[in-house]
Amino acid sequence: MKRHFRELSVAAALLVVLLGLAIVAPAFFQPQPLLSLLTREAPTLVVACGMALVIISRQIDISVGSQFAVCSVCGGLLAAKGWPLPLVFLSSVLFGAIMGAVNGWLVAGLRLPSIVVTLATMVTWREALRWQRQGEFVNLPDGLQWVGLSQIAGQWTLILAALALLVLLALATKHLSAGRFVYAVGTDAEAARLAGIRPQLTIFFVFVFMGALVGLAAMMNVVQSPQVDPKSGSGLELKVIAAAVVGGVAVSGGRGKLWGVFVGLLLLACISPALTHLHIEAYWEKAIQGAIILLAVVADGLRTRKQRN
Amino acid sequence: MNTDKHGFKAILLRHETILLFVVLLEWLYFNSVGPRFGSVDNTFDIMRHSVEIGLLALVMTPIILTGGIDLSVGSLLGLCAILFGKFWRDAGMSIPLAAACTIGIGALAGGLNATLITWLRLPPLIVTLGTFSLFRGLAEAITRGADTFTNFPASFLFLGQERWLGIPAQAPIFILVAIGIWLLVHRTTFGRSFRAIGFAPEGTRYAGISVERRLAMAYVLAGIIAAVAAIIYTSRLGQAKADAGMGYELFAITAVVLGGTSIFGGVGTVHGTLLGVAAIAVLNNGLVHARQPREVAGMLTGLLLILALTSSIISKMLASLNARRQTSVTKPIIT
Amino acid sequence: MKKIISLLLVAGIAFVSGCGKSDSSNSGSTTPDGGKKITVALMPKSKGNAYFISCKKGADKAAKELGVDLVFDGPTDPDPAKQNEIVENWITLGVDAIAVACENREGISTALRKAKAKGIKVITYDADALPDAREFFVNQATPEGIGFTLMDEAARLCGNEGEFAIITASLTAGNMIEWQKHIEARRADKYPNMKMIALRPCDDLKDKAQSETTALLSANANLKCIMAICSPGVPGAAEAVKQAGKTGKVKVLGLGLPNENRRYVHDGVTDSVILWNTEDLGYLAVFAADSLAKGTLKTGDKTIKVGSMGEYQIEGDSILLGKPFIFNKANIDQFDF
Repeated sequence: MKRHFRELSVAAALLVVLLGLAIVAPAFFQPQPLLSLLTREAPTLVVACGMALVIISRQIDISVGSQFAVCSVCGGLLAAKGWPLPLVFLSSVLFGAIMGAVNGWLVAGLRLPSIVVTLATMVTWREALRWQRQGEFVNLPDGLQWVGLSQIAGQWTLILAALALLVLLALATKHLSAGRFVYAVGTDAEAARLAGIRPQLTIFFVFVFMGALVGLAAMMNVVQSPQVDPKSGSGLELKVIAAAVVGGVAVSGGRGKLWGVFVGLLLLACISPALTHLHIEAYWEKAIQGAIILLAVVADGLRTRKQRN
Repeated sequence: MNTDKHGFKAILLRHETILLFVVLLEWLYFNSVGPRFGSVDNTFDIMRHSVEIGLLALVMTPIILTGGIDLSVGSLLGLCAILFGKFWRDAGMSIPLAAACTIGIGALAGGLNATLITWLRLPPLIVTLGTFSLFRGLAEAITRGADTFTNFPASFLFLGQERWLGIPAQAPIFILVAIGIWLLVHRTTFGRSFRAIGFAPEGTRYAGISVERRLAMAYVLAGIIAAVAAIIYTSRLGQAKADAGMGYELFAITAVVLGGTSIFGGVGTVHGTLLGVAAIAVLNNGLVHARQPREVAGMLTGLLLILALTSSIISKMLASLNARRQTSVTKPIIT
Repeated sequence: MKKIISLLLVAGIAFVSGCGKSDSSNSGSTTPDGGKKITVALMPKSKGNAYFISCKKGADKAAKELGVDLVFDGPTDPDPAKQNEIVENWITLGVDAIAVACENREGISTALRKAKAKGIKVITYDADALPDAREFFVNQATPEGIGFTLMDEAARLCGNEGEFAIITASLTAGNMIEWQKHIEARRADKYPNMKMIALRPCDDLKDKAQSETTALLSANANLKCIMAICSPGVPGAAEAVKQAGKTGKVKVLGLGLPNENRRYVHDGVTDSVILWNTEDLGYLAVFAADSLAKGTLKTGDKTIKVGSMGEYQIEGDSILLGKPFIFNKANIDQFDF
């Protein structure tokens, strides 16, 4: 109970929001819109899982939004050229992994601080894409949407795929040695090194993995509509970092659970549609989002403060 | 003599020196490409355009020195700009009074960050991520996004658009703030404690320094200067709206880091930050004269950041190598 | 030691001259071939926007025909101060004419007045500045015209009654606020039975427009029409309506490019897309700027003869491109931009 305090308190907050909605705006719980909402968040969940691992290893990656856009457009262009879908997915993952490897090499290889490296790559990828594409949409061939399935089946496939990934990763971080390495490196890189782990190699692979997940998520988003917006994914980094942190991942590294990230993401993803359902004017939305992030961390801060005293 | 030579080399290899070379190279190159790049008018344009981001970068330096970060300065600039407009137009205040109130609000907002960071010991990244959204949201909510403040008196617009004693009127403010922060960081015990906190907060605490108070001061200062930047911004554009200063926090952080301040805290200088601001400002302006599209400026800023970091890492490695070689024959060098 | 220093220097020089090489091909065109070449600087609201790329196509065509040296640049981020900075840079750069699509009316006017005072010819296109800050406005459609057309079309689709919602780019986008005012004025004046129930920003992102529309549809069972007034918003809203299975029941209309909406118009999800000929807009902007700089166009002129496109009317200081155009199932395939 105590070990899961943070995650449980976020879950409780989510429950309160959902209960409130059930009473005031029961229309929120219609199956179709809810399914659509969850499908929209499935790619975000995939990226958030990767971000959680990055933060747990005491790094950060703010270039994910730009990577997402590059993968979306590259994948979209290949699909438009008539490449078969599995190959398109694979190349998008590969593009992501390559961009992740660039980050990883600069961070782990040259030992540059990750926030600065990814700030630089964020700007570089984004502007390069804008330079090349000038904001033009990519029109995809017919039959690509929902990977060729019906809409409902496609939506469930994406949601279940994201959830399966979440469960697999949660299990892997707990039971696989590679997963434990990430926590060990994040807690104390020097101690990890003495224990026989290669911290820099671990960090490199965490970034590569992050990139690959972004590539996957980009395609999970691309197949949801018949066009690719080259701006898609802008602001994604803030969203997933907020989700990870609200979900209890410590920015000081080494601490955090993936299911907490899942709950944190659900809470943040709920806010905007909830405000629409409560007919609150959009002018307040950013302020409310900020207040909720602050409240989530303040609650935690108050608790640890009490423990300190 | 040997040590003299070593000192010279050490200066040459310093991050700030390398950056100075970069700025000079940029200058020379753009000067050769754009016939009007080196003109006095253009030089003053570069200054005028970089004052707001420069101010934010200046106050970001002590914060990053302590190992913290403030993502909310750009949003706070927006909030202060529209509040300044509100004080002047709707509350009927005179410009100086409105400016004073705005600076008060900036201090309060900085105080909110400071309280959450020091009293609750929450990570600055998260706190300011929250206030980043909160401040911008408040600005949008107060103006409903649409309300634009304009038609300011000419005496106020003078500050952002005209020249005073031959230099842009806002330059003296910038120079004063720059000198003030340089003195604070490099010549006072306060400044030393910022770096100490960045190196080892717990150690600093045990050394009897009130870490909380110093940290709080850095964030409140950031709020105050963000408000000053908001006033200059409003004057330069002749309008205040809720979208003012969007993304400025990233420019400021980029300039600070480019200037050689370690994002982990403990290492960095204010003059480095100034050079960082100059490198980005000259690049952005020069590329217009070189007739390159705006996207290229963004890409080159990213590359420049990575190159600068790499080169400073290499020079640091060399320095430590050198030091090790020297220590094996002579006494250790204390830097 | 020294080697490293010189290595760094060489790397630095290579880096800077590397970016120099790429532009020498570009700036090579500035060299005047005989006579004085006029330089026209054209600014979009933002870079990376398909709408302005289409304008640029027309602008390039005009520049080629007229032998004008065209500079096309604008901000990449939604910072209103950036437009001012670029205009001020152009003033020092010494261009002959500036044509701007203004993001912030009052803000940009500060810089444009300065340009005018320096003898640079200033026109605006797409979105106007304050009248004293420019000589002409190439008017593809007045905010009033756009607002009224949108509202009329929405009312026609809904049968003059029912609820509708607006998707906008951001709460602070100047021209969209202007359009909303006129939409509301028209509604209050002619369609009192229509009701605007929500305004949602989509950050100029198609994906976010889709999420917002999904929420709007489920929160408002009686919603009859979605009006998207930013170009990525239209396909985003259409996709949401399609996924909700409300094709035909909920009408979608908005301002957008034919190519981005073709599919939805054919599927019957989007009913009408409103826009003007963006290529002509770019062409006309460059042509007018060039004429102004050459002195063939003067304040008070009633018409302007535009090379391959015939004659255009000038009303006061507005050069009129023509009325906004409504794309629908019947005509959308005739357009490719």
